[in-house]
Amino acid sequence: MLRERLGKELLYLDGGMGTLLQDRGLAPGELPEIWNVTHPEVIREIHRLYMEAGSDIVLTNTFGANALKFHDTNCSLEEIVTAAVGHVKAAAGELGKEDKIFTALDVGPTGKLLKPMGDLEFETAYEAFKEVMVMGEKAGADLIHIETMSDTYELKAAVLAAKENTSLPVFATVVFDERHKLLTGADVPAVTALLEGLRVDAMGVNCSMGPEQMLPVLEELTAYTSLPVIVKPNAGLPKQRDGKTYYDVEPEVFACLMRQITRMGASVIGGCCGTTPEHIRSMTEVCRRDDIFPIREKEYTVVSSYGQSVFLGNSTEKKHGSVIIGERINPTGKKRFKQALKEHDLDYILREGIAQQDNGAHILDVNVGLPDIDELSLMREVVLELQSVVNLPLQIDTVDAEAMENALRIYNGKAMVNSVSGKQESMDKVFPLIQKYGGVVIGLTLDENGIPSDADGRIKIARKIISEAAKYGIKKKDIVIDALAMTISSEPEGAKVTLETLRRLRDEVKVNTVLGVSNISFGLPARPAVNASFYTLAMMNGLSAGIINPSSEDMMKAWYAYHALMNLDENCAGYIERFGNAAAPVGENSKDLLKKNDSRMSLAPAIEKGLKEDAAKITSEAIKERAPLDIINEELIPALNHVGEGFEKGTIFLPQLLMSAEAAKSAFTVLKEQMDKSGEAQEKKGTVVIATVKGDIHDIGKNIVRVLLDNYGFHVIDLGKDVPPEKIVDTVLKYDVRLVGLSALMTTTVTSMEETIRLLKEKAPKCRIMVGGAVLNQEYADMIGADFYGKDAMQSVHYAQDIFA
Amino acid sequence: MERRTRETLRYLGYGKNAADEKTLALIKDVFAELEQTAAPKSICRVFDLEQTEDGGIFIGNLKIRSSSLSRNLKGCVKAVLFGATLGTGTDRLIARASLKDMAEAVVIQACAAALLEEYCDQEQMKIAENMGKQGLYLRPRFSPGYGDFDIAYQEPVMRMLDCAKTIGLTMTDSFMLTPMKSVTAVIGAAPVKEPCPVAGCEACGKKDCEYRRR
Repeated sequence: MLRERLGKELLYLDGGMGTLLQDRGLAPGELPEIWNVTHPEVIREIHRLYMEAGSDIVLTNTFGANALKFHDTNCSLEEIVTAAVGHVKAAAGELGKEDKIFTALDVGPTGKLLKPMGDLEFETAYEAFKEVMVMGEKAGADLIHIETMSDTYELKAAVLAAKENTSLPVFATVVFDERHKLLTGADVPAVTALLEGLRVDAMGVNCSMGPEQMLPVLEELTAYTSLPVIVKPNAGLPKQRDGKTYYDVEPEVFACLMRQITRMGASVIGGCCGTTPEHIRSMTEVCRRDDIFPIREKEYTVVSSYGQSVFLGNSTEKKHGSVIIGERINPTGKKRFKQALKEHDLDYILREGIAQQDNGAHILDVNVGLPDIDELSLMREVVLELQSVVNLPLQIDTVDAEAMENALRIYNGKAMVNSVSGKQESMDKVFPLIQKYGGVVIGLTLDENGIPSDADGRIKIARKIISEAAKYGIKKKDIVIDALAMTISSEPEGAKVTLETLRRLRDEVKVNTVLGVSNISFGLPARPAVNASFYTLAMMNGLSAGIINPSSEDMMKAWYAYHALMNLDENCAGYIERFGNAAAPVGENSKDLLKKNDSRMSLAPAIEKGLKEDAAKITSEAIKERAPLDIINEELIPALNHVGEGFEKGTIFLPQLLMSAEAAKSAFTVLKEQMDKSGEAQEKKGTVVIATVKGDIHDIGKNIVRVLLDNYGFHVIDLGKDVPPEKIVDTVLKYDVRLVGLSALMTTTVTSMEETIRLLKEKAPKCRIMVGGAVLNQEYADMIGADFYGKDAMQSVHYAQDIFA
Repeated sequence: MERRTRETLRYLGYGKNAADEKTLALIKDVFAELEQTAAPKSICRVFDLEQTEDGGIFIGNLKIRSSSLSRNLKGCVKAVLFGATLGTGTDRLIARASLKDMAEAVVIQACAAALLEEYCDQEQMKIAENMGKQGLYLRPRFSPGYGDFDIAYQEPVMRMLDCAKTIGLTMTDSFMLTPMKSVTAVIGAAPVKEPCPVAGCEACGKKDCEYRRR
C-alpha cells in the first residue's frame, strides 16, 4: 500500500526522537533504545504526539539498535526491536489509526568505519543490519527506513541487507555536508547512482542541516534522481548553550520552508534533530497533499565510486566529452602483469591503477582472469584494495559470472560492467546481476552467429540487448554498446564499419557507446599512430567512452586535441595545462650530473640526492656500457650505505633517507629489466616477512622498513596491516622464512604482537623476530619475547644483514 | 618559517637541525594538496566536572580514574569533550603515497599531523572564547592514552560526543581512531587562568622522546 502512494501524494514522516528523550531525562551517552524497555510509556507518548500532529510514517526508536553499537547486559536486541515496533503500533491503536500509520523500522549507522579505512568488514556490517531488519519485519514493521548514513559503503551493506532478507519497501537517507558531500567523499550523483542501482523505493537527505541550508543540496538531488525524494532536516543548525545542544528554527518557519521543499520536488517530508510534534503539526497544516510534483525520469548515464561520479555521453545538458577507461589492469599480452598475478603482487596492480589515474583515466577496467588463478577471490581482493588508493569508478571485467557477482557485491559504488553480449546465455547470466546490484553494462554487438560484418547487423544486436535488458527493468541509459573494433590488417573495411556503427548508435538508437580502441591496429607496425587517428575518428562519430592505455602519449594527445577542437575544453584549459609546460623532462640537478659525461660517477650522487627520475635515466645510460652487477656493487650499494650512515649519525633525516631509497629503487627497476633480459640473476639475500599486527591499522612504519629491506636486496613478503597471527605463522612455514618483522603502534595492539610472537616461537622456533613501533622500547620488546628491537628502519636492515650473513 | 612547517619537521625527526631544500619543497607541496583533500571537522560538548577526594573524576555521568588527567584538571569546574578529524581523504592520500613513494608518504603523514594540531588549536580558541564569556579559562587538551588516562576511555568519550554521527569519527576494536588523523580530548575549564599553561607535548613524562618539542 505504501508503494502505491509513494511519489503520488505527499507523505509525512515524524520529527526528532533524541531531543524529546533528552527533555524527558535521557542522559548524554545513554543508549536511547533501552528506553523502549525501561520507559515504554514515554516512547508511546512521543509516537502518539507525532501521529496527532499528522505523521503518516512513524519511525521506531531503534536508530542505534544493531549488534555493533548496542551493548546492554539486561536486554537483548530482539527485545528492543520487538518492543520498539510494538510501541508504534500500540500508539496508533490508541488513536484508532492502526490502518493509517506506517511503522518504519529505523536503521542508523553502526558507528564503525568499514574497511579499508576502518576495521569493520563489509559482510559484518551486512550481518548486523540483516539481524535487526529480520527482527523488525517479524515484529510487523511496514518499511525499513535507513537514515543518517555518511558512508556509501555502509549504506550499500544496509540496503542489500534489507533487499535480500525482507520484502519491505526500503527508504534511504544520507547526510551531506556543506560541500554537498558525504563524510567519506561521495557527491550527490554518486549517492543517487548507488541507491537507484540498488533499487530502493525512495531516497533523500536528513540531519546535519536545517531546511534552509538543505535547499542547494536538494536542488542538486532532484536534478539527478528519478526516485521519490525524502527530506528530513534538523530544526536549523545546532547551537550550544550551557553545554547543551539546541536548535532554534521555530515550527512556523520550519513549515514554510518545508512547503518550499515540496515545491522543489520532495514527496516524503519530516524532521530530524530538534524538531518536535509542533514542527510536524505546523508542517502538515501548511503543506498540502496535492503539493506534489510528478517525478521526471532522468536520462543520465552515471557510474560512481565511493568518492566521485563519472557521467557518460552527451545526453545531458552538460557536455562531458569522451570518457577514458584505463585498460592496463589486464593480463592479456602483458608478461609482467601475469607474473604479478601469479605471485599475488597486489602492489604492482595497485600502482598500475594509480599511474593510470595520474595519466588521466576516468574509469579503470579491472581484469584479473588467468588460467590457474583463483579469479573469484583475486577479483574481490583487487577491487577492495584498488578502492583504498584510487577514487575512480571501476569497470568489472570478467567472463565468470560468479567473479562478477562477487565484485559487484563488495564494490563501493555503481560499477561499470564489462560485459554482456547478444548471446541469450550471456544476457541470462549478466542482467540479473545488474538488476540486483546496479551498474552500467557494456553490451557487445555479437551473438550466437558471431560478429556481424556490417553496421546493420551490429545495430540489430544492440537493439536486442536493449530490449532484453528492459525485461529486467534495466534502462537504456544503463547500457553502453561496444561497436567492436576489428583489426584493419585482416578486415579492410573494419574501421569504417565500426565508425558507421558508432554514429548510428548515437543518432538512431540514442545509446552510449564504447570501444576497445587499440584492437584496430593489431598486426601493424607503428600501432600508436593508427590507434590515435582511429580514436579521434571514433570520438567524432560519438564514442562515449574509449578503453585505452592512458600512459600512451599518442592516445592522450589525440584525446586532448579532440576536446580542444570540439569546444569541449573551455579555453583549451585542459590542453594547455597538460602540454603547456612540456619542458625537458630531465631535471636541473640531473643535467649537472650528466654534464660530467661520465656515467660511472653519476648514479651515486643521484641516489644520494634522492633524484628518482634521474636515477632511472642515468642507469638506463649506464647499462649500455657496464654490467648491472657492477653498477649495483660499485654505485648503488655504496650510495645507500653512505646515506644510511648519515641517517644514523643524524646528518640525514627520514625523508631524505627515503628519497634516496626511492631513487635506488627506480635504478634497480631498470637494472632488473636488463638482468631479466640477459638471464642474469641477482641473488636475493634472504626472505623477510613483515606485517603490522592484528588490530593495528597504522602501517607507515612497516612500509618504511619494506622499502629499505627491498633496497638492500632482501626478498620482502609484506602481509600488510591488521594481520592475524595465524597468517604470519602460515606464511613463515610455507616459505621456510628465517626472519619476521612485526610492527605495532599502541599498547592495545602490542598484546597481539605478543600473541604472534608466542605462536611463532611455538610453530617456527628457528625463525627470528624483530619488532618496532611507536609504543615499543628495548624493555618492552624483551618482555614480549622479541629477538630484536629496531629503534628505526636502518636498524632492521642491519639485523637482517646479521641474520643472513 | 611557519609554525606548521616547524612542527612537521619535528615529527619527521629533524630536531634542531636545518632541513634540506628538497624536503622543504615537498612539505610545501603536500600542504597545498592537503588543503584540497583534508575535510576537517570538529565537535565539542561541555559537561559539569567533579573531582572526588579519592581521585575520581566525573565528567557528566562518566567516571574516570587517572592521576595524570586529575592533575591536568586541577581546579577545573567544567570539562569540554572534544573530537576532531581530517576525514578519510587524508588516509587515502597516505595509503596511495605509500605505494608510489614512501618519502612522500612520511611527509604527508607528518604534515597531516601538524595540520590536525593547528586545526585543533583553532577550534580550541573558539571554545575558549565562548567559555571566556562565562569567566572560564581552558587548560591544554588531554587525550585518552596520555599518561595513565586509559585509552579505553576513547569509547565513552566518543559516545558522549556522538562523533560517528556528527563528524564521522569512529574507532577500531583496539581503540584506534579512524580516520587515522583524528583527535579526541578532554579540555578542562577553570575560573582561574593558569599563569603558564603547559601544552600537550611538554607536559608528557617521557623526557627522552626524540620528537619532544624543544
